[in-house]
Amino acid sequence: MSNSAIHLLEKSLLDGDQAQAIAEARKLLDANVGRERIITEGIEAAMTQLDSKCTAEQFNLLEIMLVGRAVMEVMKYLYPPGTPLPHTKGTIVLGTLEGDVHDLGKNIVKMILTGKGYRVVDCGKDCPVEKLIDAAKQESAKAVGVSGLLTTLIPQVRRVKECAVKHGLKHIKILAGGAALKQASAESLRVDFVAETAFDGARYLDLISKEIK
Amino acid sequence: MNSLERIKAAVNFETPDRVPVIAQVFGHAAILDNVALDKYVRDGELIARSQIKALEYYGYDAVFALMDTSVETEATGSVLTYLQNRYPFVKSYVFSRGANLESLSVPNPHKAGRMPELLKAAKILRREVGGEVLVVGCVLGPMTLAMQLLGPETALYLAIDDPESFARLLDFSTEVTTTFGLAQVEAGVHLPIVFDPSASPAVVPDQFFREFELPQLKRVFASFKEAGAVANWLHIAGPTDLILPFYPQAGVDIANFDYCVDPLDAQKALPQTCLDGNIKPLSFVQATPEEIAAESSTLLGMFADRRGFILSPGCEIPPEANPENVKALVLASRKRR
Repeated sequence: MSNSAIHLLEKSLLDGDQAQAIAEARKLLDANVGRERIITEGIEAAMTQLDSKCTAEQFNLLEIMLVGRAVMEVMKYLYPPGTPLPHTKGTIVLGTLEGDVHDLGKNIVKMILTGKGYRVVDCGKDCPVEKLIDAAKQESAKAVGVSGLLTTLIPQVRRVKECAVKHGLKHIKILAGGAALKQASAESLRVDFVAETAFDGARYLDLISKEIK
Repeated sequence: MNSLERIKAAVNFETPDRVPVIAQVFGHAAILDNVALDKYVRDGELIARSQIKALEYYGYDAVFALMDTSVETEATGSVLTYLQNRYPFVKSYVFSRGANLESLSVPNPHKAGRMPELLKAAKILRREVGGEVLVVGCVLGPMTLAMQLLGPETALYLAIDDPESFARLLDFSTEVTTTFGLAQVEAGVHLPIVFDPSASPAVVPDQFFREFELPQLKRVFASFKEAGAVANWLHIAGPTDLILPFYPQAGVDIANFDYCVDPLDAQKALPQTCLDGNIKPLSFVQATPEEIAAESSTLLGMFADRRGFILSPGCEIPPEANPENVKALVLASRKRR
C-alpha cells in the first residue's frame, strides 16, 4: 500500500468526513497496513496539518470538532471498545472544574490529544479538584488539564497544583485553558502552562514529553 | 448632559460632555448588594433594586434588566439547575427531553419561566431611572439560543450534518429572540442588547456567520428598531475581527469588541458604528485600580478624535470583581472630561 493511500485517510480526516475516513482506514487495514502506522502517518499527520492551519487568529471550534469527530470514529474503528490501545505518548487527565458545566472546549482538547497519540482520561464536567488528582494518581498521568469558562473557578484552579503535590504528584504538569482561564497568567493561576488554544496545550505536552524522555 | 443623552451622542458620533461609560455589571450588582446570585436571577424586583444601588454607587451610564444566558431556553422547556450564589445552568436541554421543533411553541414572555420577572425589572428600572439613564434589556442571539436549546455540540454537528434542520432551528430561535426583545421594549427598556457569543469566529467560521447568522440578526434588529429601540447593540465576545465588517448590514448601532480585538482594527472595520470595549474582564478581579485607570486612559486617547465610543469592559464584569476597579473605570472618563 503506497503512501498515497494514507494521504487519502489524512485528507478525509481534514475534510471532517467521518464516513470516508473510516472507509479509507478499512482499505488500509485490508492492505495489511499496521494500526500504529495508520495512526502515526494518517491521524497524527492530519492533526499536525490542522495545528498549522489553526493559528490563534483562525481558530474555530466547529472546524476542529469535525476533524476531531472523524478522528475519534477512526480510532474506534481501529480499536473497538475493550481492545487495548497501542503505545501512547502518555496519559493526560482532563476535567472541567466544579461549578462549571461548559465542557465543549474540554471535549475538543480530548479529541485533539487522542488524535495526537495521547491516552485521555476524561473526568467530565463539574469535577472536584480531588477527583482529578485521584484520577491522575491512579492512571499514572503525566499531566492534568483543567478548563473553565467562568472566572469564579480561579480559586479552584489555584488549588490543583497544591493538591497534586500533597498526593505525591509534584512531577506532573498542570495545564489550564478556556475563555476565562486564558485571560490569566500561569503564575497567577499557579499552574505550569496556560494554553491559548487546544493545539497550544498539545504543543506544550509534546514538549514536556520529549523532555521527560 | 444626562446619561441617556450622552449615549445617544456617542451613537450619533456627536461630541458628548464626556465619554459614556457602560460597565457590564450584571451579577456583580447582586454581590455588591449582598444578595445571593441565584435569588437575584429569579426576582425582577431584586434585580431592579440591586441595579439601582449599583448605579448610585458607581455613577455609570446604563443599568441592565438582565438575568443570565438560560432565560429563553428555560422558558422554552429546558430544565435548569440553580445552585447557591451561581448563575444557573442547563441540566437537560429541551430537545434532549423528547421535544421536536414542530411541537415547540415560542414562549409567551408574559407567562413563561422567568421572562415575566425580567419584564418586571425592566418596568421598574424605566420608571425609577429610565428618564436619565439607559435601561438595557437582554436577549440571546439566534445562534447562541440554538445552542442553548439543543446543547452546543449537538447544535454544531447538526449545522453540518443537516443544515436544513439547523436553519429551521435558527428560524425558531430568531422568533423567540424577537418576541422576547419586543416584550422588553414594550416593558420599558431603551434597547435589548443581543448577546450572541456562540456566533463568534472562535466558535464558527466567519463564512458561517455570514450565511446563517447575519440574515437572522437583520430580522431581529429591524424589528427592535421598528418597535422603538433607541439603538441596536450587538455583543459577540472573542476575536470578532473577521465579522465586524458585517455588523452595519445587520443594523448594528453599537458594537461591543472584546479585549482580544485591537481597538484600531475595530475602528477601521467599523468607521461609522459606535464601539464599546474593551478592557479585559478578568482585570476587574485581578488588576489594581491604577492599572484599570491607565488602561481606560489609553483607550480614551485612542478614541479621542473619533467620537462614537463607549468605555466598557470587553465582556461581563465578573460578579466577584473588585468594586474599586469598577470605580476606576468610571472615574477615568470623568477625569478626562
